[in-house]
Amino acid sequence: MRLAFILGEIGSGLRRNLSMVVSVILVTFVSLTFVGAAGMLQMQINQMKGYWYDKVQVAIFLCNESSTAAGCASGAVTDEQRENLGKMLESPAVKQYISDFQFESQAEAFQHFKEQFSNSPIVDSVTQDQLPASFRINMKDPEKYQIISETFSSQPGVETVSDQRQVLERIFVWMNGASVVAMGIAGVMIVCAVLLITTTIRLSAFSRRRETGIMRLVGASKTVIQLPFILEGVIAAVIGALLASGTLWLVTLWLNGDLSRQFLNTPFISSAQVLVVAPVLIALGGGLAGIASLLTLRRYLKV
Amino acid sequence: MIRFENVTKVYDPNARPALDDVSLEIERGEFTFLVGASGSGKSTFLRLILKEDRATSGSVYVAGQNVANISSWRVPRLRRGIGVVFQDFRLLPQKNVFANVAFAMQVIGKSRSIIKETVPEVLKTVGLEGKEKRMPHELSGGEQQRVAIARAVVNRPGILLADEPTGNLDPITSMGIMGVLDKINQNGTTVVMATHDDDIVNEMRKRVVELRNGKVVRDEAKALYTSMIPVVGESRRLKDASGEELDRAAGVQQ
Repeated sequence: MRLAFILGEIGSGLRRNLSMVVSVILVTFVSLTFVGAAGMLQMQINQMKGYWYDKVQVAIFLCNESSTAAGCASGAVTDEQRENLGKMLESPAVKQYISDFQFESQAEAFQHFKEQFSNSPIVDSVTQDQLPASFRINMKDPEKYQIISETFSSQPGVETVSDQRQVLERIFVWMNGASVVAMGIAGVMIVCAVLLITTTIRLSAFSRRRETGIMRLVGASKTVIQLPFILEGVIAAVIGALLASGTLWLVTLWLNGDLSRQFLNTPFISSAQVLVVAPVLIALGGGLAGIASLLTLRRYLKV
Repeated sequence: MIRFENVTKVYDPNARPALDDVSLEIERGEFTFLVGASGSGKSTFLRLILKEDRATSGSVYVAGQNVANISSWRVPRLRRGIGVVFQDFRLLPQKNVFANVAFAMQVIGKSRSIIKETVPEVLKTVGLEGKEKRMPHELSGGEQQRVAIARAVVNRPGILLADEPTGNLDPITSMGIMGVLDKINQNGTTVVMATHDDDIVNEMRKRVVELRNGKVVRDEAKALYTSMIPVVGESRRLKDASGEELDRAAGVQQ
């Protein structure tokens, strides 16, 4: 009986305040979409890191005929220098950091180059001599790149030590920036949402002051009087959160559809990952609305 | 049932207190009129019983309990034991008669079957049988006040507080309302009624407590609206005004 009564009260409250309730839904929808977008960008970054970091290698490029680096003053790498580097990689001091390594000769480099740029006219203008031979190293822990770099940069016959991670790092910095911006917008929108919920609950409490006055007089408990108002705010916010989750889900569908066909090598987050974000958004929306309503009622609804 | 012990209530420290050292006891089952000019402290008296306000000093006991010691989450329980009726009825305009009365039971969690059983009974007590489906705007003022009374007593409170319940009604309708309140009182409910309506007080011949400037200046059983016994120190103007009443009262007593 009491439940049915409270539900009825909520229904009448939502109907009476429809335009305000719709605005609460829309504002929470937009703000939580930004929160969710920021969260999902972070997930995307982690996903890409996990995917790429396994594949990226540290490359020790060896001098060739046309190298201009300081270490290459004596011309192209000699066989002796190359064997020496191979031995260093096998030595226990270095071996503890790397899981394995391969030697890529100039011929192999040329082969890879031709494959990678098969559609580009640049292939025709590049010769095998121009490409450097290299050691390709898979690190046990990619963070230890610095050690390899310090050990090998100054060795004779080494042109440069490059970490492919640094290229990715730049992309991640950009994506991180985007998620910070999204969080910033989300923060402002959440403040809007909270203020709007406060106003809505105030109006709602005012338009139903007759009922609540009578409820007080006949001895209704605080819960019975306040719960309909609080749930009103929470329901509106949760609807907003559901809309936000739906939108994010559509975005992941688009990522995995159109976009994944254009960027074949990029691992996108799956739609299932929205299931991780959605409960957070719903809890956040509902929680904020509940707290905002409760604090408002404390001021504007005498019990 | 209701006991005030040296109760003082100050709203504004610079003005005189709304109630000034009031001590009073109202027994179970009693019918008491609270009379006095506007601002004499009648409403404050009622508010203190409901714990709508806290007494500045002194103690208010309701059903043997000092209301100052009732924690805020138990105030609803106190109020379930007290029915209240106002001058302006305070019905819910979009609910019909039955729903208005049922509302008081719904909000304290009474079951549907109990509500269905009790509401028609109470409506019969206040003389509104057959009007369950009417909306408040379809009722006369007197009928609206009967709905309000039904709502106040539907949970069988031990105390009924009425703040000028006949203030908006004509004399004949008012007498009808008094009949209802009297009937409720006969059933054992303690009734405290604040009023300006001298005809009603004179007709009913119940206990009268008169407040003036926050002080109890008269407390008489089976009394009239104005004093039968001139009070020492009372102003000449007031005595003159009540002179006729005194004669009539004397006549009745002889």
